[in-house]
Amino acid sequence: MRRLSGAALVTPLVLVLVGVFVGPLLVMLPTSFHPYVPGQGIGTSWTLENYTVAFTDGYYREVIGRTLWMGFLVTFIALVIGYPLAYFMARTTRTWRAVATLLVMFPLFLNLVVRSFGWIALLSNRGVINTLLMDLGLTTKPIRMMFDMTGLVIGMVHIYLPFMVFMLLSSISRVPRDVEDAASTLSASPSRVFWFVTLPLTAPGILAGCTLVFVLTISALVTPRLLGGPTFKVMSTLIYDEFLVKLDWPSGTAFAFILTAIALLVIWGANRVARRVAGGAA
Amino acid sequence: MAPRHPATRHPAHQSRARRIPARQPHRALLATVSALSLMMVAAAPSASAEELVVATFGGSFLTESETCHFAPFTEATGAEVDAVVGNTTQHAASIRAMMGSSEYDIVYLDDSAAQQLKNEGLLSVIDKDALTAAADIDPRAFDADGAYVVFMTGATAIAYNTDLVDTPPTSWADLFDEKWSGQIAIGDVTGTSGWQFLLAVNKMNGGTLDDVTPGIEAIKPLAQDSVTLYTQADQLIALFERGEIAMAPWYPDRAGSAADQGLPIAIAYPSEGAVGIRPTLVIPKGAPHPELALKYIDTVLSKSGQECFAEKKYAGPVNLTVELSDKAAAIVPYGPTLQDLWFLNPEETAANLPTWIDRWQREVTR
Repeated sequence: MRRLSGAALVTPLVLVLVGVFVGPLLVMLPTSFHPYVPGQGIGTSWTLENYTVAFTDGYYREVIGRTLWMGFLVTFIALVIGYPLAYFMARTTRTWRAVATLLVMFPLFLNLVVRSFGWIALLSNRGVINTLLMDLGLTTKPIRMMFDMTGLVIGMVHIYLPFMVFMLLSSISRVPRDVEDAASTLSASPSRVFWFVTLPLTAPGILAGCTLVFVLTISALVTPRLLGGPTFKVMSTLIYDEFLVKLDWPSGTAFAFILTAIALLVIWGANRVARRVAGGAA
Repeated sequence: MAPRHPATRHPAHQSRARRIPARQPHRALLATVSALSLMMVAAAPSASAEELVVATFGGSFLTESETCHFAPFTEATGAEVDAVVGNTTQHAASIRAMMGSSEYDIVYLDDSAAQQLKNEGLLSVIDKDALTAAADIDPRAFDADGAYVVFMTGATAIAYNTDLVDTPPTSWADLFDEKWSGQIAIGDVTGTSGWQFLLAVNKMNGGTLDDVTPGIEAIKPLAQDSVTLYTQADQLIALFERGEIAMAPWYPDRAGSAADQGLPIAIAYPSEGAVGIRPTLVIPKGAPHPELALKYIDTVLSKSGQECFAEKKYAGPVNLTVELSDKAAAIVPYGPTLQDLWFLNPEETAANLPTWIDRWQREVTR
């Protein structure tokens, strides 16, 4: 009975996922194994080249590597900034928590394009920051902060920080204060309590937050398009170009599947680690 | 509030009426919104009998199309025009995705994209004999197999800032002049002016369409020195306005519109010949209203439609009976500048464009 109602509860979601996600994905799969002849269209023969070229062509390797590096940087910075913030929010008074929650959530109310444009206004060569620096005489030439990793990472951290903070917040709030108190009574210093009790207990939250931010970062399109410009390509913008600029659907599809595979691999890996961490804790 | 507004307690709307402040305008609005959203869901694949779906370009292009083409078309046929805005490749991708059962009646495309879709068998034949304007049209505007018709002549030429540049540029080589170092912007290869400028420079340096190496090598330093690699044509307006750039490969129609708004921009046609742009109209296979679509094409190609678009949008006319004002004639490709235009074979462009993009992304901007 219980199992039945459980199945009934997940059925709508499963149907939606199969219908609008898995279905189209399967429809696209054959496309990725066809050759593309510019000027003629998608061929009918079968080939693996769309996949192999991603690893043999140095340009594509560079883009894939850059995407992963960006994902790592954004996740790492979001964690380093997000953890103290989430810790503060979990341990402070009700009022402060409400204020902090509002502040963290506030960027989510704004449209992604607007936020990215805001960063352009700040970071561009004639933007607020560079104008200020030059007016103050600190620099003579504008510092390049856009169309490279710097701008992209700044923009992405800003956008995905809330996800990290809220994942960590729920995890840190769940840590029983008794355990920390017990460690303190056993004469552990506050830093020792943090490193050996609090942090390990929040490991699942850290892992979940990192996974979420990493996967969101490597698949983001709008921000890289706006802050990365036409020259600083990551996988999502590359896929966009293959589809909508070169009309080369087969290789675009192949890259999309490679990106999906990377995301699934990260989630799978994180799950395994999480299970091990949880197993060790139990 | 219900007692004061008994009218709102209509049983069918009870739940809504309770939440929405109960005044008639709001109900009308609500009804309209819900009806619209229903229509959007239901009517997307089959627009009503008297609505022509036109996939076109945005910005001032759309505004002037409304004046010059949509309005006369509606007046003549009674059919409304529903415009879907996008760029060439987005429209091409849509047509391919709709696989021969198009929701669009008319699509605006660059000639190489039209050629590509023609080769993929996704376009209907345009019956030239059904067009009353056909006799007046430059015969080269029609595709030999009738898959598309060119409705205007544009170009990639040189736009320059009249406040900064005293002697108008006369050659593509002027963009490479030391004097303007750091004050040039060029288009990214993904935009028309980007790959066309690459090909113009390539030709100037002895390259061919099959081998763009000379062009790539020549352009690399310029691209690195470029203020920006623009991806949207109108990005340049702000750069010209602030005096950040002196020159850029750009489109006469955009430059003309910007100059009309009081910006210090003029257009120069390089002596090597500007590169011709031939936007086309196509009727995709399976279009719901092919006959209306033909009438629309007729409107666009008509003398008045062409004249209006040339004067307002600075689109080079393909209707040979059109006579331009001196002002428009100086901006659009017309007379000698039209004669000198370098037109690329759309078949070759479609076949080579991905290679040019690849090489640019790997060798110029990497």
